[in-house]
Amino acid sequence: MLTQAQFLEPLARHRTDQIVISAMSLVRAWGRLSKHELDFAFTDSAMGHAQSLALGLALAQPQRRVICLNGDGSMLMSLGALVTIAQCRARNLILFVAQNNTYEVTGNQTTPGAGAVEFHQIAFACGFPEAFHFSDAREYERALDKILYLQGPVLVAVRLEPGAEPPPNRKQTEDTPYLRGSLADAAHRLKQALQNEG
Amino acid sequence: MLTTRRLLDTLKQIGISHAVGLPDNSTAALFHALADDPDIYLITVTREGEAFATAAGLWLGGQKPLVVIQNTGLLEAGDALRGTLIRMRLPVLCLVSYRGYKSLAARANSPLTPDELSRRDIDSVAALLEPTLRAWTLPYELVSDNADAEKIIAAQQRAHEQNFPQVIIIAETIH
Repeated sequence: MLTQAQFLEPLARHRTDQIVISAMSLVRAWGRLSKHELDFAFTDSAMGHAQSLALGLALAQPQRRVICLNGDGSMLMSLGALVTIAQCRARNLILFVAQNNTYEVTGNQTTPGAGAVEFHQIAFACGFPEAFHFSDAREYERALDKILYLQGPVLVAVRLEPGAEPPPNRKQTEDTPYLRGSLADAAHRLKQALQNEG
Repeated sequence: MLTTRRLLDTLKQIGISHAVGLPDNSTAALFHALADDPDIYLITVTREGEAFATAAGLWLGGQKPLVVIQNTGLLEAGDALRGTLIRMRLPVLCLVSYRGYKSLAARANSPLTPDELSRRDIDSVAALLEPTLRAWTLPYELVSDNADAEKIIAAQQRAHEQNFPQVIIIAETIH
């Protein structure tokens, strides 16, 4: 089982110009590691829709890779989206599912099917050409560089220790810059950044 | 009568790049036409909430998506709509078909009551649609004929002026 740092720090080191969509407990954790203008904090993910926002971005920007950092609780809310993603053949989409078996931001209540759900198997069954699962930090880090450049869509399930992140609220005094300002400000900023980059 | 041809022409006129949604009986002809259309990319989803989030991502990425769902799906997807197009203030058009529209003739023009929502002759999703849109502060227009196509063009213009989603309610089956 990995710690949150063992999951996110290698990803931050390998990340180049990909769009990164984060949700729920991963929002602040990612914001502590990255200040990239193509980071987007989809704070509450509208109850489990981060992967669909990422799908839209991936289809709109086929020349750019899109990384989605999702939680297992959020993923369970919209498993059907995996079918949609596979159907759309979003080759540039990499969906990480942080599997800590809890609803972390509400105090680590156990998720349905905790420990039993194999997200990578579900992804394969939905038609993903590539899916992985990791519970060892060294294996994960060794594979990461290759995974980030595979033809997707790719799902990567990572078994994590439960953490203690609070809900990712937006306020002006936030340490993580991408949590300052409203969701609308952040959304329009991301669109502008993508336009600027062409 | 509202025809697929006129609707598609109008959507192309306002530059729609993607249609994201789920079909129902009254939009079936439109979905068939979109599936064969070379200019508008059709994405069918498994639940309506996905449609709003996917459309949001498409818009952020520089595309001009349209959401097409039934009023039942709109109610199911309320929080997805709130958390994406509304909270992000995205000027995305949503075509919502009006299941049960004709059943509304059986009810009085007065605030809804619990009894009305359980009556056999009134489709409760029809009765709830417009009050729900008003509660969510979503501007909407009813479209039922080719002559109403101008309303779609005007709604797209308003979406851009207000940076806010707009709803087009399709009150009749599209032919």
